[in-house]
Amino acid sequence: MVVDDHPMWRDAVARDIGEAGHDVVATAGDGHQAVRVATAVRPDVVVLDLQLPGLSGVEVARALAAFESPPKVLVLSASGEHEDVLEAVKAGASGYLIKSASRQELLDALRRTADGDAVFTPGLAGLVLGEYRRIAARPAEPDGPRLTRRETEVLRLVAKGLSYRQIAERLVLSVRTVQNHVQNTLNKLQLHNRAQLVRYAMDLGLDETPD
Amino acid sequence: MHEGMQGPFWRAITVFRIASVGYAAVLLGTADSYARPAVGWLVIAVMALWTAAAGFAYARFTGWLLLVVDLAVTVGCLLASPFVQGTAGGSVPITATWVAGPVLAWAVRGGRRAGIAAAIVVSAADAALRDSPAAIAGNGTVLLLLAAVAVGHVSRLAKEAEEQLRNATRAEAATRERERLARGIHDSVLQVLALVQRRGQELGGDAAELGRLAGEQEAALRELIRSEPVRSEPASGHGDGLTDLATRLRRYGTARVTVTTDGTPMPLPDWYADEVAAAVGAALENVRRHCGDGTMAWVFAESDGDAITVTIRDDGQGIPDGRLQRAAAEGRMGVARSIRGRIADLGGTVDIVSTTGRGTEVELTVPARRSSWLAGPPHGPGRTA
Repeated sequence: MVVDDHPMWRDAVARDIGEAGHDVVATAGDGHQAVRVATAVRPDVVVLDLQLPGLSGVEVARALAAFESPPKVLVLSASGEHEDVLEAVKAGASGYLIKSASRQELLDALRRTADGDAVFTPGLAGLVLGEYRRIAARPAEPDGPRLTRRETEVLRLVAKGLSYRQIAERLVLSVRTVQNHVQNTLNKLQLHNRAQLVRYAMDLGLDETPD
Repeated sequence: MHEGMQGPFWRAITVFRIASVGYAAVLLGTADSYARPAVGWLVIAVMALWTAAAGFAYARFTGWLLLVVDLAVTVGCLLASPFVQGTAGGSVPITATWVAGPVLAWAVRGGRRAGIAAAIVVSAADAALRDSPAAIAGNGTVLLLLAAVAVGHVSRLAKEAEEQLRNATRAEAATRERERLARGIHDSVLQVLALVQRRGQELGGDAAELGRLAGEQEAALRELIRSEPVRSEPASGHGDGLTDLATRLRRYGTARVTVTTDGTPMPLPDWYADEVAAAVGAALENVRRHCGDGTMAWVFAESDGDAITVTIRDDGQGIPDGRLQRAAAEGRMGVARSIRGRIADLGGTVDIVSTTGRGTEVELTVPARRSSWLAGPPHGPGRTA
């Protein structure tokens, strides 16, 4: 499913994806519509623009993550990595790509997202690193998620622009292991975020599990 | 209700009035030769009631009517003094210090001049009580006038400060709204540029060139309008000569150079940020000069609170071993002075790692803490780019 508020973009992306052999089951142009349609259609992968009218892209990502078997979400953004991208990823998106990426890059990212792998740009890796640092610096969360030394190393190398293969060469690991490290950093962050939301909901007295 | 910053004034006046009523009651209680002490107690009761009423009324009503009534009641109580005291009246009327109440109130509401006017009225009423016009209670009047002027002045300052604060808040809200709208527009522009780039690539030929140009502009624009870095505390405001290093570094972003940060705010003095950015620029210039136009570079800036580390990495052919040292020995100080010299002057370190065939990494580490910064831009021999 493709969610984007620019019809030209939406159609271009949908066409590219369709030509590559994937099945585009739905498109949506604003946040509320996206959640409604996704609930009905239950896509496997959602390509989600962050800048949406109605519900913001981040909130759509949160809503999608609350599904029983949530779709994999690839976040697209025109204006580069910033706070919203980090929020979307924390909420459950598995990857991020900039809109000016080439067709090939988009299809690669889509395939990897569908396979369940994280799609990281250097900017996103940098933001994730920073987020862990901020969590570590907060005295109110002594048991927040932490990065292992290896994971920090890998994230730093991604932030510096190395490809997974180059990182694998440099650290004498397999590409798969590098991918797993990156994936783990994301999982920990998402788990922590979900736990925080649950705790917040419980504090407010809403303790039904979302479905 | 615009009593935002004036609330404390009113509370203070009420406290003063209460204390004065207490003092006046003590005076009455200890006086033993008043003509009609019972009436005296009645006046005290009126004073107490009016203090309570005024405390309540000033919080609720604006307008001059209340002020006039306040002054009238006070002067009324004051003028009842000879009736109560009879011939035993000394220099202190039964209202004692309580008469300063309306003077302060007029000063807070109307500024210095209103306060002075009220002070004159009260002083005149006080003078009318005395037997001889010459024996005007000088001290009392002077004190009232002083109080009026001081309180009136401070009250006006508080009002102006409040007005400024309101304006500033409104301006900030307007700016934020503008930024939000701008972001939407920027996104649209970026998307169109990205579309053009895409289609250009697909169509090939001249269109591909157009697409490439569009792509470069898209990258440049994107770097230029990055939104603020992720914050965990509220913004400290960079109007005090501080710049976020990330803002400076983003200017280097192009289609070939990717600038990333870890989202932590990195406030530095303007000159400091300029020096670091210049060193980064020098490193990027080196890449362009030695590695050709097709080379990609990445600039990654991170901060752990104590130190800021900026890594400039390229995927060029790398610097052969020993070449850097040889160049320095031969007197060609390009890298040494422009990068190492600058960073050393800032109290930081430079680490260059280069592997043939795998590119070069230049790592600049500079202290981030205020206490480690030098007092000002270092003056040294002129630097070349």
